[in-house]
Amino acid sequence: MVDMPAQNPQRIVLPPHRERARRPRIVRFREWARRNLFNSRAGTLLTIITAAILALLIYGVVYFVFVDANWRVITENRWLLFAGGYPMDQEWRLWFSVMFVFLLIGLTYGTWASLGRRDHLFIVLASGFAVLLLAHGGAAIWSTIWYLIAVGLLYAGYAITIRMPREAGPGRTVQQRSVAGLLIAALPIVLIVLLAFGGARPRELEGFVLNLVLAPVGIAGGLILAIPLALGRASRMRAISWTCTTYIEVVRGAPLLGWLFVALFILDDVIGGELIVRAMVVLAVFTAAYMAEYIRGALQALPHGQSEAAHAVGLNQFQSMQLIVMPQALRISIPPMVGQAISIWKDTTLVTVILPLRELKGNADSAIAQFEFTPDRIEAYVFVAVIFWVVAFIMSRISQRVEGSLGIGER
Amino acid sequence: MTTETASTPARDLESMDDIIIAENVDKWFGDFQALDDISMRIKEHEIVVVLGPSGSGKSTFIRCLNRLEEHDAGRIVIDGIEMNDDVRNLNAIRSEVGMVFQQFNLFPHLSVMNNITLGPRKVRRMPKLDADALAMQLLERVGIPEQADKYPAQLSGGQQQRVAIARALAMQPKIMLFDEPTSALDPEMIKEVLDVMQELARSGMTMIVVTHEMGFAREVADRLIFFDEGSLVEEGTPQHFFENPQEERTKLFLSQIL
Repeated sequence: MVDMPAQNPQRIVLPPHRERARRPRIVRFREWARRNLFNSRAGTLLTIITAAILALLIYGVVYFVFVDANWRVITENRWLLFAGGYPMDQEWRLWFSVMFVFLLIGLTYGTWASLGRRDHLFIVLASGFAVLLLAHGGAAIWSTIWYLIAVGLLYAGYAITIRMPREAGPGRTVQQRSVAGLLIAALPIVLIVLLAFGGARPRELEGFVLNLVLAPVGIAGGLILAIPLALGRASRMRAISWTCTTYIEVVRGAPLLGWLFVALFILDDVIGGELIVRAMVVLAVFTAAYMAEYIRGALQALPHGQSEAAHAVGLNQFQSMQLIVMPQALRISIPPMVGQAISIWKDTTLVTVILPLRELKGNADSAIAQFEFTPDRIEAYVFVAVIFWVVAFIMSRISQRVEGSLGIGER
Repeated sequence: MTTETASTPARDLESMDDIIIAENVDKWFGDFQALDDISMRIKEHEIVVVLGPSGSGKSTFIRCLNRLEEHDAGRIVIDGIEMNDDVRNLNAIRSEVGMVFQQFNLFPHLSVMNNITLGPRKVRRMPKLDADALAMQLLERVGIPEQADKYPAQLSGGQQQRVAIARALAMQPKIMLFDEPTSALDPEMIKEVLDVMQELARSGMTMIVVTHEMGFAREVADRLIFFDEGSLVEEGTPQHFFENPQEERTKLFLSQIL
């Protein structure tokens, strides 16, 4: 007992792992590499092979993007790709919608989640990409300014809402209800801004704008149809449950491509009207069949005690569904629903295959059909793929955040 | 009939009206007869404890009293209201009968406050401020006013069950049904729930309690009822049951559980 630490108060004895942590970073990295990359002869070999493949890939991508590719096919055709036949003198309607949606994203994040370092990085990178595209050639300086204002609105909405107290209370309730109300109203508002009061005719919605209109309408319409379908399938009344089951099985039994043929030929005789409206109907009807099954699964997963307790406090069947069962079932089904939403987002490209509607991919085809740009098809399709990925990634990130912030009352 | 326990004041139940009348009630689940010709009358302010092995039909019986189960034959009358297919009768009965479940069945997506105020606001159309005040009062009564803004998952089992009792009381029922309210609780939390139930009994609530808590049965009950295989086997005062049971099946059950 001679080496009591008390005899030498300056020296603090750290446990071994703390000692190691205080070593220089390069030493720690070397140790980490030895343990994870070069732990055996086979491991070392695998590391070298993987590194070589990665290096080749990165070299290939960098070379393609910065040296080989002719991005003029994109920059020269940016209006065609994004808005296509949308009347150019109504451009402000597009920017107004972008600003509104960006503001709404900011408000939503500020109310129910928070932006982390990765989110900021993503926004900065995506904005850099957008500005690069918009400002190229200097012709569209106003577009760049509009875009930057939209990003500014995102952060403004976020900055305001993130400072509001999160604790339950009347203020919080008003805030949540207002933002939720705006979210629900967003799609109709955007459609009105784009189309009504001297805006474009529906058939003039083209390019990326068309994808951005079709997918949300399909998803929202599908969800609205899916709830009664799921309840109907679970109903004890045979006629109702058979009708809903038949609907679900028939719609799921054929590919979306087939149903778009129906929109083109059969629905034309039945409901007529704008082709784009028929496409929206088909997308919603198709999405609904899948979503109904996800909701039904969630309904079955919910403990029976929930509706019993609802009845025991005197709620009737409808109130029990509306206030107790559905909110919980919808939350359980968020992950598969988002999967379905992402899938329908990508499937909006199919309207080009079947229908004479020109969405982003369709207009990319038009871009490379120009004699000048025929060699640049890879550039065009890579660009389209990146755009689709960015939107799908945003959807998936937002849904993760929504799940996280709704998790508070989880059983 | 007067009880001689310290906790319940001697009450003149004889002069009270029957608030629950069950006559020749049968209940089938497919081929299985869960209730076989059950007849029973329960007076206002009476505390009845229902005993019996699992599968004996005791839970099924009290679930018939607010129609979570539909009885197949016989007659049930709650506070003068006939239990039948008339939805208005059913709603009237359900707002007079509160129920507490073994698994609490709190609504996990609602705060404690909203769990309690939901019934009064949606069914009784009570203004939010009044409902909130009532909820706070009930949370004081069950001893957890500080938990009002939490969610059920953030509470212990005992606290959850006390919220469930407050939720049932918020509808200001005349009758409270308890379906094994302490069976899902850790041992150290049973007492806090029983204490609340005991206080409720003292306040004059009519209570039907399915439980295995013999201490509670002995101390609080006016009457014990023993179910086995869907039949009502024996009933009587706690004194009768614990000192002088008549039926063989009752004796066997009590010997296993005491």
